[in-house]
Amino acid sequence: MSFCLETYLQQSDDYEVLLSKAGFKDCAKVIKEKSDEVIYINAGEKILGARIIGIPPIPIGVNENKGTIIISYTKPCHGTAAIELPVEENEIEKIRKIAIKN
Amino acid sequence: MKKALILLGCPESPSQTPMAVYAAQKLAKMDYDVTVASTPSASKLLEVSDPDECYIKNKVDIESTLDALNEGTYDLLIGFVHKDAAASYFVTFYHILQCESIALVFEKDFELLQEFENIVKENTDAKIVAVRAFHNPTPLKVKFDRVLESL
Repeated sequence: MSFCLETYLQQSDDYEVLLSKAGFKDCAKVIKEKSDEVIYINAGEKILGARIIGIPPIPIGVNENKGTIIISYTKPCHGTAAIELPVEENEIEKIRKIAIKN
Repeated sequence: MKKALILLGCPESPSQTPMAVYAAQKLAKMDYDVTVASTPSASKLLEVSDPDECYIKNKVDIESTLDALNEGTYDLLIGFVHKDAAASYFVTFYHILQCESIALVFEKDFELLQEFENIVKENTDAKIVAVRAFHNPTPLKVKFDRVLESL
């Protein structure tokens, strides 16, 4: 069964909401500020099985030492949130593969 | 038959539902197979507005549609942009579909209207209808008709 980000957020408590009910720009700023490394992706790319919604280039924060990433998460009626959540190392590699090349 | 996707945002703006019904019937008359993607709450408003599905034949959930979306799935994208999140959704759908697109940008606050219009302008090649509107859909309707004529 594939990973479902929405279900994960409902059923887990090991993630941190850094900003919520905000605009995409503000969440992108938080992601850049709170991450050791930032990888940029195109709108609609999938991370953890979920399409990332936003204005490209979309920043994905990587804190490899903590084993976490920070992503923006958008809902039509609730705006955008910046969420830091733990991931396996191979997930970070998958994100690097879909990065926008400079 | 060409396929059109109408993308709805949060339904809290009163102009959205009547304009969605209007856009669906206009596109159907232009021989488009029309699908409306929305949140469950926006879908409920459509269900009540068009109980016999005279105007809107196909309704789909915005999240599951986005998951399964690919380039070429639709020939025309029409998106309602009246919130920051709606702008993000429209730009994302646009980048995946890579098809002819129209953004209906509306807000009662002039600064927000400009902000949403700029997001769409800077990140897509969509045709843009931008008007100050909230309760009254007529200005949107008039400009939308004009853009449809240019398709």
